[in-house]
Amino acid sequence: MSEYLEVSIALDGQTRDASVRGDELLLETLRERFGRTSVRGTCGIGLCGTCTVQLDGRAVSSCLTLAAQADGRTVRTPEGDDPANAELDDIQRAFVEHAAYQCSFCIPGMVATVRSVLALEPDADVETLREALGGNLCRCGTYQWVLDALRALRGESQGEGDR
Amino acid sequence: MPDARERVVGTLPMVLDVRPPGVHHAVVVRSIVPHARLGAIDVSDALGMPGVVAVVTGQDIVASGIDPHFGAMRADQPAIAVDRVRYAGEPVAVVVATDRWRAREAAMFVEVEYDELAFVVDEREADAPGAPQLHDAYPGNDCGDWTLEHGDVDAAFAGAHRVYEGTFRTPPAHHVPMETFVAVADWVSDDRLEIWTSAQSPHAVRTGLATMFGTEDVSVRTLNLGGAYGAKGQIRIEPMVACVARIAGVPVRFELDRDEVFATIARHAGTVHLRTAVDSDGRFLAREIDVVYNAGAYAITSPFAAGQGITRAPGPYLIPNVRARSRALYTNTVPTGPFRGAMTGQLTFAYELQLEEIAADLGIDALELRRRNMIRDGDTYATGEVMEGMHYERILDGLVAELGPRPASDDSSATVRHGRGVAITLKTTLTPSRTEARLVVGSDGTVTVHAAATEMGQGATATIMLNVAHELSMDPTTVRRLAIDTDRDPFDTATGSSRTTFSTGVALHGAALDLRRKLDALAAGDVDAGLEHRDAGLILPDGAWRSYAEVLQAAEVDEVIGDGVFQSSGGWTPEGQLRDGGPSTAHWHQGGAAVDVAVDVETGRVRVVGAAGAAFAGVALDRTRVDQQNVGCVIMGLGHSLYEESVYDDGQLTNPNLSDYMIPSILDLPERIGSVIIEDLEHGEVHGVGEMAIPAVPAAVAAAIRDAVGVSLHDLPFTAEKVLRALEDQAEASSEGGGK
Repeated sequence: MSEYLEVSIALDGQTRDASVRGDELLLETLRERFGRTSVRGTCGIGLCGTCTVQLDGRAVSSCLTLAAQADGRTVRTPEGDDPANAELDDIQRAFVEHAAYQCSFCIPGMVATVRSVLALEPDADVETLREALGGNLCRCGTYQWVLDALRALRGESQGEGDR
Repeated sequence: MPDARERVVGTLPMVLDVRPPGVHHAVVVRSIVPHARLGAIDVSDALGMPGVVAVVTGQDIVASGIDPHFGAMRADQPAIAVDRVRYAGEPVAVVVATDRWRAREAAMFVEVEYDELAFVVDEREADAPGAPQLHDAYPGNDCGDWTLEHGDVDAAFAGAHRVYEGTFRTPPAHHVPMETFVAVADWVSDDRLEIWTSAQSPHAVRTGLATMFGTEDVSVRTLNLGGAYGAKGQIRIEPMVACVARIAGVPVRFELDRDEVFATIARHAGTVHLRTAVDSDGRFLAREIDVVYNAGAYAITSPFAAGQGITRAPGPYLIPNVRARSRALYTNTVPTGPFRGAMTGQLTFAYELQLEEIAADLGIDALELRRRNMIRDGDTYATGEVMEGMHYERILDGLVAELGPRPASDDSSATVRHGRGVAITLKTTLTPSRTEARLVVGSDGTVTVHAAATEMGQGATATIMLNVAHELSMDPTTVRRLAIDTDRDPFDTATGSSRTTFSTGVALHGAALDLRRKLDALAAGDVDAGLEHRDAGLILPDGAWRSYAEVLQAAEVDEVIGDGVFQSSGGWTPEGQLRDGGPSTAHWHQGGAAVDVAVDVETGRVRVVGAAGAAFAGVALDRTRVDQQNVGCVIMGLGHSLYEESVYDDGQLTNPNLSDYMIPSILDLPERIGSVIIEDLEHGEVHGVGEMAIPAVPAAVAAAIRDAVGVSLHDLPFTAEKVLRALEDQAEASSEGGGK
């Protein structure tokens, strides 16, 4: 039988308390207890990036993070606390404007990764962001539209031969 | 797309987020052996675990009076195994509990006895005398056998200048949609089933479930799919989901883990044996094709899909004499089914790489050899049909122009060799097929579209709204489309085979015509008034604009409905005859790909430094979405070319995870992949573009490697090990040839 732990998480700017199982993954807590739909599990082994959230600012795979590890820390999900009313940030706006989405299952995780890099390294260039996105898989193959969005975001011109 | 914000933010409605009241959660217990008679299943320990409400086996389904077998072509697959398992990973029991984690814990306590049988994995061994047999009803592991004979093949071979022969293998692979299989079934009464499922073809699911349960009252709902690529075509996990919910007596939700997705459906492995006769100019005189596809343990669509081996095997070439046999064979592996570019890449890899070998042997440039043999308007194809609307000349020109100058061969290091490859492909679309569409104008003037084409990232919804807006000259953002429910969205054969934009577009055109006539009758008393419609209203004969709301209110009508249908006929029969006089296909899909590679001769590693895909689109309705489909094809095809392979060892799939089964990441690809879109605005017919380029990609990569280092690799994928081994063999052969 699982033991339960009391945790308090600063989730998207709101303090949220929950009684979680010792083996409960942060992914499950965010989806099933707090209804966060932008955090999506799929590979289960921290490889694909679709469940990425920011734990104290840093991108982590919520499928490899125990809910208990988030106790007393801040968690930021891609969608935030009030997605229907919140204004898009610059990263999201760039993704929307450059059609950087197809089926979109993986896209919120990419946004979280980019936010994390820019939070730690505000001057990061597109190449740095591209390297970081090596851990966010997109089976539709939307990568070059994501790069278009990142170039616009960072004010970098497109390379020769690019649109 | 109109829902771009939800897509980026992460609030796009998906089945993943559906939780009807009282929902329980299921975890599947799967066979650990590839082939066995199923012995006793002891569920008592699992049933005693906290929160567990049911453990369902195949025998439980039988005992409930339902035949657990289903299948689009042959009812050969049980929802849960009954007395036999035919592949490792097949469902043998399902645990239902109040929470997913409780079901997962209890699943470990289900004990299953297996009486193991001999098994067969490779399609090349499945028809051997004494090979293990999977289905009593289908001896010889026969899962479809098609033949085609065109011209006088034997005479042409006898008179040939040269004959080339080779065998080419494509391994099993996987779709890897990022969203796994997710479904929730709720029996709201004994006779009514409501099921939400991440499925591409809701009506195919509905038909299958209605047959299984003997009730027409089945409502299949889909939301936005997180990718599919064919994996979620036809009926898949829904029979298991619906049977379990019925027996457990509660709404049940399934969300498969990644390894279970690998264990549910795969892409056909294929072994192609090709013989081609040419004259001294390299003109194709005759071709003999023998293709064997690996159907896996259950038929799904293989008995029909194997037929595509005969219509697509000759490729986009004029070959006056063709003999083709195309078979699918059962094996003890994961069942195979629809896949982006299904059944075609295996063939294209064979005929395009062989063309490179022929060109080299005859000393003719490969592009020139293609142009010499390419099928053109007015030519008779191997199906006996006279071809029209062929665009391969433009596809080749476009691809060569898109890649630009060849990369210099000395720009990386002394051990790196550069090469370029181009390939073209031809395929049919699902024929016959049917799509119905309905437009409803409400008394408030809103226009709602009902069509069952699913949105899976390709932009079906946005394209449907664009179509309606175009037909009625209104703002696309004001067209309303609800979540798909087979209760109200009319029949559609499938969202697949790149048919949606075309077939739904035709059906919507009909629906709009019907709607306009009915509205004209209401507004002007004449169905043939031919009034101009715009902005959700129409212009009366006196020149005044009336909104649809005003027209309906004046006539005291609640709603006006317009219906339209797309119906294609023809296709082939297994005996090699055109059905009802044809055609083979509603139209021919045409595509191609070009690739620049850098091969490191010291490590064998192949790096793709440039790539482009080509698709004939007829009319490209939305260039961004068309480019995204086309580029997505190239990327998936590069994965198949370089590393994707479902690996079996001792009957077990050994790499069902994204660590050992790699798909391309942003770091594995050139920063930009080119998209060549060929249009024919004069004829105005819209073609789908979702799978035009992908079949050509492995062939283009093979050609590029051949160009770079001179080895012809007949076994996909082209891993560093295979390239290195081929280079070593080449070196050995040349040193032997040197007299040592």
